[in-house]
Amino acid sequence: MASTARKGGVSLPDKRNPRGGAGAGAAGSGIVSRISESPIVARGKRAAGDAAFVTKKLLKSTGKAAWIAGTTFLVLVVPLIIEMDREQQLNELDLQQASLLGTPAVGQK
Amino acid sequence: MAGVVSPEEAAAKAAAAAAPEQVAPEKVDYLNLPCPIPYEEIHREAMMSLKPDVFEGFRFDFTKGLNPQFALSHSVSMGVAEIPSQSTETIKIPTAQYEFGVNFMDPKLMLFGRLLTDGRLNARAKWDLTDNFSFKANGLLTGEPHMSHGMFNFDYKGSDYRAQFQAGSGALFGANYIQSVTPHLSLGGEVFWAGQHRKSGIGYAARFNTDKMVATGQVASTGMVALSYVQKVSEKVSLATDFMYNYMSRDVTASVGYDYLLRQSRLRGKIDSNGCVAAFLEERLNMGLNFILSAELDHKKKDYKFGFGLTVGQ
Repeated sequence: MASTARKGGVSLPDKRNPRGGAGAGAAGSGIVSRISESPIVARGKRAAGDAAFVTKKLLKSTGKAAWIAGTTFLVLVVPLIIEMDREQQLNELDLQQASLLGTPAVGQK
Repeated sequence: MAGVVSPEEAAAKAAAAAAPEQVAPEKVDYLNLPCPIPYEEIHREAMMSLKPDVFEGFRFDFTKGLNPQFALSHSVSMGVAEIPSQSTETIKIPTAQYEFGVNFMDPKLMLFGRLLTDGRLNARAKWDLTDNFSFKANGLLTGEPHMSHGMFNFDYKGSDYRAQFQAGSGALFGANYIQSVTPHLSLGGEVFWAGQHRKSGIGYAARFNTDKMVATGQVASTGMVALSYVQKVSEKVSLATDFMYNYMSRDVTASVGYDYLLRQSRLRGKIDSNGCVAAFLEERLNMGLNFILSAELDHKKKDYKFGFGLTVGQ
């Protein structure tokens, strides 16, 4: 997991070696510590930490992209939609008037 | 360009396929070509949709015609002025200014004067001496030293070509020429010499226009390459794109924009490769009363500009 994440270009912080922190004297004293110091658990912890880190970065960049896309949409597309809608309404109004008056809408273009 | 087939061409092709023996390709009268548009305006259509004059803050323009030839204009703008600095962030300081203008318009003679509260005076004149020959002058007077300048243009308009000679302050001389080659294609060239900076240059331009599209290209020895393409999708909508490359500074910019001309409003929008998004809306509220909204987002620099304004008269 960690190696693939490194290949992906995300720099991961160096993890402390869990064994060094636990102390060598306590090793093998109980089943709980034996399990907690087993290489599988250590790897699992590390993988979980890495996954959390990558997820955080991913969420951050996704949020940034969403912000840019959203503001761009607000500026470029929303006014366009509103204006098109107004145009449509005006056209409909013209058509209605033309049908009410019974005259073709010439010259109202 | 090759992918675009106008309806006339398509119709002509269909007709040609149907009756190959009657093929008479429309003869081009090379002695009767249309007059090209001026050299400095060959990017006109692309500029119209891609370079709206976005502003920041508030703007109010009022134009009052005293008689058909003579008009006075007043304009107030309140906003911020950007000061370029060494760092990437631009410094903005709030400013407000008033501009008084006088316009005189006659079919033969046009005079424009603008006086700003910071002491700048801008004057422009255009005088048609004969049907073919016209003279243009442009001057800017400021209180700051070495910022005042003047420019004189002599234009000659032939039946299928235009030539222009320019002379300006700072020993700036230039000449350009544009010629229609076919009814749709026009080619031009320019030379210029800036005596103050001891620089000279040469440039070429080509423009291909039909009633559905306009494609232009321009190169200059300053290293500038500019290409633009405008497609008129319908009467109301046109889409434009342009590409700018500077060989010396290795700057590349490309932008895409739209231009909607609706019954009550005109909306222009563009997005460019520097991460800059701009939109400009002109809404006609009443006869002679226009409302303007302008927005520009620069995502890269985190520089956001919004402006609104009113235009009264004309």
